[in-house]
Amino acid sequence: MRVKWFSLSIITFAFVLSAGASTASGEAVEDLYRFHCAQCHGLKGMGDGPNATKEMPVSPRDHTSAVEMKKLTDADIINAITEGGPATSKSSLMPPYGKTLSKAEISSLKDYLRKLCNCKGK
Amino acid sequence: MIIRRLFAAGLLSAAVLLWAAPSFAGVDEGKKAFDANKCAGCHQVQGPAKEKTIKDQLAKKGPELWYSGSKFKSGFLEKWLASPQPIRPLAYNSVTDRNRGDHPKLSQKDASDVAAYLMSLKSPEVKPLGIAAVESPKGRIIFLKKQSCYGCHSMRVRGKMAGGLSGPSFIGATERLNPDWVYSYLKNPKAFKPVKMMPVYSGILNEAEMKELASYVGSLN
Repeated sequence: MRVKWFSLSIITFAFVLSAGASTASGEAVEDLYRFHCAQCHGLKGMGDGPNATKEMPVSPRDHTSAVEMKKLTDADIINAITEGGPATSKSSLMPPYGKTLSKAEISSLKDYLRKLCNCKGK
Repeated sequence: MIIRRLFAAGLLSAAVLLWAAPSFAGVDEGKKAFDANKCAGCHQVQGPAKEKTIKDQLAKKGPELWYSGSKFKSGFLEKWLASPQPIRPLAYNSVTDRNRGDHPKLSQKDASDVAAYLMSLKSPEVKPLGIAAVESPKGRIIFLKKQSCYGCHSMRVRGKMAGGLSGPSFIGATERLNPDWVYSYLKNPKAFKPVKMMPVYSGILNEAEMKELASYVGSLN
């Protein structure tokens, strides 16, 4: 019986881990990205969202570019999402999401970006 | 003498009632026209906001209107409902589809009545602070440099539309938005729209900055 409960706990734990795409708020990280980030970075993260208009002084980062994304540490990504572009000496066109998203959501978005670029930070 | 005064007071009351009556009729008739035109199919008129998740927000087909009387400037809705022009460059809740500008157009009578009804819907969150619409240098710096609001909200620059497309355009904002509402929305956005694409700036901008920004946004034409 005890073994059965133990197995059940392991299964539950594994399920929670596998549901890593979901954040503490219950929102799937893909949904967070599509809702908050895609307006500039595009639905697939290629930096081609509807706000990337011709007259903008800078283009949104292409999250699928390993060349660009590996220049950033994980802390850089978290800082940029939390505090906005100026926190990493980039444009204020990247707004601060620290009062919008939880730390867990921001961390899950960082993981999602690493998945999109298929790269690690410097 | 007393009779004459009473008579005068009676006449005055009747005049006030006659003057005020059409506006009450407008609200009631506006509610009927709102229902008859099935506006509630896309617009919420019952507050407070209940959305909790992104899915809840995405289920909405159009902007919530339950605080219209606090948000919009007098006269704007009547004009807009009779001749609707897109406010958002993109379709509501979309980051891919253009706003097709296919909002139903109401007759002048319905537009006037529905506007009266919508302007009767107010939020206690919006206090009448009397923030003036002024193109202030401080507000301009926040909008263009410090927070780059133009990244999502388009504006008119030298006669042309410039800026991002995901947020409502601020071209003509001075005719549309009450600066007191803009300030309240910046200060406590979740009271109006708990789940939204725009980041929360409360705690990032201070009180004075939120007022400067509200004043600047309210001045944009």
